[in-house]
Amino acid sequence: MEILQYIFGGIITFLLAFVVGMTFGGTRRKIIARIQNRYGPPIYQNFIDAFKLFSKTSAVHHGAMHYMGPAFLMVSSVVSLMFIPILRDGGWFPNLNFHGDLIFLLYMMVFGSLGMALGAGQTGNPNSAIGVTRGLAQMVGYEIPWIMALVAMMIQFHTTSITGLMDVQLQSGTWNLFASPFAFVAAILASLGMFRYAPFNIVGAPAELASGPASENGGKYLFTMMSSHSVFAFVKLTLFADLFLGGAGNLVELLIKTFLLYMIPVLYGVVNPRYRTEQAVRWFWGWPTVFGIIAIAYAVWST
Amino acid sequence: MNVIFLILILFLVGAIVTAFAGKWSSLLQDGLFILAVTIPAVLFFTQVEMNQLVGWTRGGIHLELGLTPFSYFFAILVLLLGVASAIYSVGFMHGKARKSYYYFNYLLTIMAMLGILFSRDFISFFVFWEIMTWASYLMVVMNGTRTQEIGIKYFVFSAIGAYAMLMAIVLIHAQTGNFLIQDFIDTYPSLAHGRQILIPILLLVGFSVKAAVMPLHVWAPGSYAYSPMSFTSVFSGALSKMGIYGMVIVFVTLLSHLPEGGLIRDIIAWMGAMTAVIATLWAIAQDDARKLLAYSSVGQLGYIVIAVAIGTPMAMLAGLFMAFMHGLFKGALFMVVGAVEKQTGTTDFTKVTGLIRKMPWTFLTALISIIALAGIPPLGGFIGKWMLYESLILSDHYLLVIVAFFSSTAAFLYAYKFLFGFFLGQEEEEWADVKEAPITMLIPMLALAVGSILLGAFPQLILKPINNGLISLGFSDSYGKLWETSTLFNEWGDKVVLQPIIYAIMGVFLTTLAFTYFRNRKRTRYVSTKDISTSGEIPLAHENLTFKENFFQPFLRAVEPVMKKQIDWYYREFGAGLEAIFNFTRRIYSGNGQTYALYAVIFLIVLLLLNGNLFGQ
Repeated sequence: MEILQYIFGGIITFLLAFVVGMTFGGTRRKIIARIQNRYGPPIYQNFIDAFKLFSKTSAVHHGAMHYMGPAFLMVSSVVSLMFIPILRDGGWFPNLNFHGDLIFLLYMMVFGSLGMALGAGQTGNPNSAIGVTRGLAQMVGYEIPWIMALVAMMIQFHTTSITGLMDVQLQSGTWNLFASPFAFVAAILASLGMFRYAPFNIVGAPAELASGPASENGGKYLFTMMSSHSVFAFVKLTLFADLFLGGAGNLVELLIKTFLLYMIPVLYGVVNPRYRTEQAVRWFWGWPTVFGIIAIAYAVWST
Repeated sequence: MNVIFLILILFLVGAIVTAFAGKWSSLLQDGLFILAVTIPAVLFFTQVEMNQLVGWTRGGIHLELGLTPFSYFFAILVLLLGVASAIYSVGFMHGKARKSYYYFNYLLTIMAMLGILFSRDFISFFVFWEIMTWASYLMVVMNGTRTQEIGIKYFVFSAIGAYAMLMAIVLIHAQTGNFLIQDFIDTYPSLAHGRQILIPILLLVGFSVKAAVMPLHVWAPGSYAYSPMSFTSVFSGALSKMGIYGMVIVFVTLLSHLPEGGLIRDIIAWMGAMTAVIATLWAIAQDDARKLLAYSSVGQLGYIVIAVAIGTPMAMLAGLFMAFMHGLFKGALFMVVGAVEKQTGTTDFTKVTGLIRKMPWTFLTALISIIALAGIPPLGGFIGKWMLYESLILSDHYLLVIVAFFSSTAAFLYAYKFLFGFFLGQEEEEWADVKEAPITMLIPMLALAVGSILLGAFPQLILKPINNGLISLGFSDSYGKLWETSTLFNEWGDKVVLQPIIYAIMGVFLTTLAFTYFRNRKRTRYVSTKDISTSGEIPLAHENLTFKENFFQPFLRAVEPVMKKQIDWYYREFGAGLEAIFNFTRRIYSGNGQTYALYAVIFLIVLLLLNGNLFGQ
């Protein structure tokens, strides 16, 4: 029975993440359009796109690894989702959180890029491979400030689990945003790279790489990728809300917090052009890493 | 006869018989070779008793062999890889020249490694250590390519290590009066302080050479890359772990008595971290699979050194677990390279491409092993990485975590390059007729890959022998505290439970795969890698659009300052400097009688000048 409960709860969580992620994505398109003085698509445009992709049949396939690529991507997003507490007290969203901690989550979250990269590799499209090399390079870039922020918090609060960090905030009554501000800054700067919006949209790089790893994918593949990306966006936002903003007691609180967090990469990106790959990598090893080091020093000092 | 002697003698006799059997029949030789590895292996696991000592005294020197729980763990790795790689070697060496030479050295290497693990005195230890070095040296120069450069490097560094170790052994004998390892460990705390520092450092130099710790690693990339691939899987997978074996013993039994022990350990941990980072960056820059894996081996050994140097119970578990995992996945990966080399004749990424449909099983092995290497759950690599990070954070080594994590993330780059380089990308006509590797090569490869999966789900399979070994070294039992059947804990009470993770991952993976695969498969047709959209143009059959050259150029540009000079450069400069000094010394001996007369006069003058000071008038 317990397993059924988990599966059922997992599906509900997935649907929530899917809907929220898609809506946020649509909002982003609208915001970008308004800033560029266009009218822009409706907020629900992403659902239309997804439905269109879903209902299309593919005529071709590229072999075994190409099938597995999107599946790896989905594993990464959905399993990460299952290990992140959506609300403070489970409720409708039971999850496997007590079975894994932040370091597990770190590895789970990078798994998708590698899997997708392999799937894209088999198509033989040179643009895919170029996009992949850029994406992996950028990943090495932003993972450094990100792990620094996490390590700083682990040191400060003597726990490596997400629920542990949420409990700390509940008990002390202050959000980690204030309790370890430098870690928050480092993590937010790293999140700019994680979301891959401008100026860090070097993987897909519209008008440069013909959408990179996603080229050669259509129909259901693209639908799988699109939904996986939406879910993953929700995963990242919820994780940030859990770690720094004390988690959420109910859905409305969650939506407000995640939306505000989501606006940071979106608004930063909208006014920026695109970096070159090595510029992007070095950018992450500049100020974000400095903040990371300060965060660790602060954590050592404050314990 | 004691079974320990029997095992060693069987290897030795097996080596000689196998080497000569090639004169009569190649098939007989192959059969004998496999028997010569498997029979001692079976004997080892069924007959050898733990902690039983056999010894003899000749000329006042007492020598002892025996098995401890700690060496048992390493023996599992040696024999597992030894047997797997032996079966693989039969396929790999089929139709190649100098098979007898190869088999002979292979068996000697395995024997020497087991001998090292059996040794309970320094003389046997050193003798087996040298047999191992020599046999592997002969393997390194076997191909005859760049023997001068690669072979001499390996030889010189091994010699440095061996001399350091020999010096330590002489010092030890001077202190204790015999060569027994246990006697020395017992007397160590009562030694003079200078000796207490000098002996472990000399021993550590010897072991660091084999474990390829920076700056003593320069021999490793070349030697790993130019040995026959079937041997490299043992070389990198098991032989390098002998260094780790020695290091752990030095750290635990000697340095823990020393007030400066913590500092020495931290320094070595940092050396390990630097090894991991630099070797990883160089691995990313390689265009040859053999070199890529060779650098990667050096880097992975770096993590293991970090872990064992930190030396908390969890770090020890992590280091030894990673050592075992590295044996499994790197053994398999070198076998993959060997298979590709055998089937295509090259290991250059820029030449070979798109083999996934020709060598699917090889690809599967490579995929599983690479996932294990990258440390992604649920495979075994993750468990070692998880324990490493947790132990570093809990033992207050914050910067080491960052450095280790950096190189582990950067490892994704070469991991991808490896898979993409051989198996993905555009299919070329040149490689259209490549066949899958023979079954004798596939079975051991896949077996090692399955091992990676198994250890991911059931880490207790190997954590148990590790734990027993650590208990015998004086650690407390960590079962139930740091690990259970399939759960890992840290000391703050956080944990990872592996079973639900695996079910979740498999569930999501299969669901998504079913979603894209079923029904879709029959409706769609396979399109070749030429049938792609590149801005509306379709490449012609002869047009090669594969992106391989300068693969990670943007990333390498970003890390350029770190990679400007290889450590090699410093050694070359050092060598050149020495040569200049020697040249100068040579000029002194000009062969001219008058010059020598001048030297005599100068010497006398100096003597007179210094007279007052020297003899204290």
